[in-house]
Amino acid sequence: MMNKLAFRNVRRSAKDYLIYFMTMAVVTALMFSFNTLLFSEDVQNLFQVAGVMAAMVGIATFFVVLIVAWLINYMVRFILQKRSREFSIYLLVGMKKREIARLYIRENLLLGAGAFGAGMGLGALLQQILLSVFYSMVQMDYHLRLEFNSYCVLMTAACYGGCYLLALFRCRRRFRKMNIHDLMASEKRNEEIRESHEKTRRMLLPLSILFLLIFGIFLFCWKDWNTGVLLFFLTGLVLSIYLCYMGISAWIFCYVKDKKSGVYRGDVLFLLRQFSSKVKTMSFTMGTLTALFTLALLGSSVAFMFNHFQNQMLNSKFPFDVQLYSEQADDDFQREIQLLKKETKVKELYTYSIYENGTRQVNAWLYSHLKALGGDYHKADGTPDWEGIEQTVDSVYCEYDTYMKLSDYNRLRQMLGLSKIELEENQYAIHLKERVLKETGDFSKSLNIKGNGRALSFAGYHTESFSQDGHNGGDYVIVVPDAAAEAMRPYYAELAADIKGEAPQGLQDRLDSLDPDEDEDEEGEDLGNFCCGSDSILVFSADNLVRDNLILESKYMLCSIIFPLFYVGLVFLCVALTVLSVQQLSDSAKYGFRYRVLSRMGCSRQKISRMILKQLLGYYMCPALMALTISGIISVYTGGRFNFYTGVSAPGAVYFLLSAALFFGIYAAYFILTYVGFKRNVFSTLQ
Amino acid sequence: MQDTIRICDIEKYYGNGAHVTKAVDRVSFTVNQGEFIGVMGASGSGKTTLLNMLSTIDTVTAGHIFYGDIDITELSEEQLSDFRKDNLGFVFQEYNLLDTLTLEENIMLVMTLHGRKREEIEKRCSELMRLLGIEEVRNQFPYQVSGGQKQRCACARALANHPKLLLADEPTGALDSKSAQTLLETFTSMNERLAATIFMVTHDAFSASYCKRILFLKDGKIFHELIRGSKERREFLNEILDVLSLTGGERSDDE
Repeated sequence: MMNKLAFRNVRRSAKDYLIYFMTMAVVTALMFSFNTLLFSEDVQNLFQVAGVMAAMVGIATFFVVLIVAWLINYMVRFILQKRSREFSIYLLVGMKKREIARLYIRENLLLGAGAFGAGMGLGALLQQILLSVFYSMVQMDYHLRLEFNSYCVLMTAACYGGCYLLALFRCRRRFRKMNIHDLMASEKRNEEIRESHEKTRRMLLPLSILFLLIFGIFLFCWKDWNTGVLLFFLTGLVLSIYLCYMGISAWIFCYVKDKKSGVYRGDVLFLLRQFSSKVKTMSFTMGTLTALFTLALLGSSVAFMFNHFQNQMLNSKFPFDVQLYSEQADDDFQREIQLLKKETKVKELYTYSIYENGTRQVNAWLYSHLKALGGDYHKADGTPDWEGIEQTVDSVYCEYDTYMKLSDYNRLRQMLGLSKIELEENQYAIHLKERVLKETGDFSKSLNIKGNGRALSFAGYHTESFSQDGHNGGDYVIVVPDAAAEAMRPYYAELAADIKGEAPQGLQDRLDSLDPDEDEDEEGEDLGNFCCGSDSILVFSADNLVRDNLILESKYMLCSIIFPLFYVGLVFLCVALTVLSVQQLSDSAKYGFRYRVLSRMGCSRQKISRMILKQLLGYYMCPALMALTISGIISVYTGGRFNFYTGVSAPGAVYFLLSAALFFGIYAAYFILTYVGFKRNVFSTLQ
Repeated sequence: MQDTIRICDIEKYYGNGAHVTKAVDRVSFTVNQGEFIGVMGASGSGKTTLLNMLSTIDTVTAGHIFYGDIDITELSEEQLSDFRKDNLGFVFQEYNLLDTLTLEENIMLVMTLHGRKREEIEKRCSELMRLLGIEEVRNQFPYQVSGGQKQRCACARALANHPKLLLADEPTGALDSKSAQTLLETFTSMNERLAATIFMVTHDAFSASYCKRILFLKDGKIFHELIRGSKERREFLNEILDVLSLTGGERSDDE
């Protein structure tokens, strides 16, 4: 009998809370498909660093489980309150509290199991989409094939079950404390509007806005961010998110109470009062939703940043098919050349030297001027701190400035399909990263480059991608006529190769293993000829670079940042939207009489539809706008910083706009579902 | 035009096939301007259905209802909404006040929805609240005031747009006897001082005794009519009770 009752109740609940059911199914599908990336043998075999994705998805799963547990807990409490009258009847007819609790938990587990089943079906589909996207991101072919790994199913079930256990943990206690009278009263309990100190509370709104403004200004202008400042702003942000809603509700209350002119316009009075009473009773939930939206938007903005980097920058990071470094200036790369010839079809091989002449002009200028390096190498008067530069161990630049022969340079340009350059005997050129030149501008006037004992004149910058993360210099290389270079000391040796077709998998590992000396980097550092350039966030510094191997690994690394961020973002968004929708749909049933009254006052269905639309828009837009403002400020700032450090050329706001577009796509789907359901509920009470 | 509202041969059936229930069966009468008319009858006699049809909330199965020259049975849903807004006021047993608005705002809302000017709204609102004695609780929310005050607020709201007809469905049903008496005196005063036309449905003889005319409904048909004329209220009450005793009063419910 109890099973039958539980089953019937579930059928009814599933109908009433369709959106909740759907979200749980979508969450299961997301969990399943993202877990596939962890357990897929193909993926594991393909990449050396498969553990990175596992770690990142693991961290994401932790947050997802927490937030989904919060959703379930919220819904369990919510449904409990809605059905309190029904439970009071169970008590009246003699059921024990323990039995009711068991019945309710059984119902919830059944509902959860149903959503899990539906979600696994959806997950199988989503898995294919996700794997297709994944493989296309790492530029590999993917053939549709259902991956049904039992560990993956087990992990999904464990995560999902974990959410339920966490959520239902406190449910029994709630049942133990309830009594018939409270249960009967709780359904009738309306949103009583208690108004006290509203004039004072009203100030919370401008205070929150002011705080956000100050936060924005600080973010863009303040240079000296330390833990204290960060903590102050984080606490302030959380407080302003939550307190702002109290302020909004109080502000509307005062606006209506002061009878401002807007109140006398059409349905404004009704809408404002509806909105403020809802916001007042739900201010904490609204704050939490805003926080979730903000995190979702920030997560997807950062994911878009890395995605953009992947599309725009990765190929230019490795212009040569193979690029090898040796700290020994006289190294002829014989072993490497043999291996390359054995494993690949070599089209062209070129070994050359990078030179130094004991000067540090360019290094010092860049150390003391690049913003990315901060003010570490500046004296108070703005001149370079030579002592600091000499003692530096950060390996951004080599110990001495790096030079290259014109003939080597032109040969390398030819390999890259670029035109040769010409230099007079007394001229020099600088090949520099585009990002660095954009920041520094022309600084040749501050340099005094000498070759063969005489001063050379500056002939121009070149900024094509040129493998300048420690191979052809770090950030820059000075190109001088061959005669001038001959007079310099060879600093380290390089090999660049052009091969036919793709490099075999694992070639880079095999090249690395040719030199079993694990301390080679340290040796390079001791010799002062090891550097990695000033790139940050994503740095590719290695002795041996095999483009085809590295791009695959890099893309996988980037995917293991992008995918979990989207995963968390999507789940947070769906959870928050579910709470909003379920709240509104339940209100539409509970407060249907309000619209019946309006209808009797002569409001047509069309007018009521418009009022519902405005009401829902207000209710949906409020947390969204707040989240957009906060995440917008942070995203534009972060986007700008990201571009600054990585050299990607896209306005900082682009990532935010992309993620806002994605956000509103999902938002619109939930909004339309809620609007249609809301109208249906209201109009059914008008019949 | 003396005859404000003409109800011509209206019928209302529910169900279909062999299960047809006649809620209202060929009822005709007229309501004159400024009249305070009551409809009495046991539960299930069709009085609320009749009120719903008059108030455009429900449609007729057959027959016509004329407000002046307008036949509301011919109007579209959109036109009916406008008609309701411009011509009718409602008072229900369960008050139907909006719980998120204060009493004053409940009255204001019908006028703002009507697109009236601010000055007019403020003036009319104060006037009605003074007349109905709810000025002191104007800033209170419905849950903070008594049932009587809520119902008087509902009356004020119903009258705010100068309706042609005020429809009241068991308005004293949820009130204690003192509040009920105050409300009925308010109805009389509204009828006499503001010339409001009132159509009240009740099964309570005491409430009905405040009306000028009473129609008795049984099984969907009018079976009797009482006119107060110049009689005292107490005398009229006795007459009503006599009619009710003839019909078996409330017991007809169970039959």
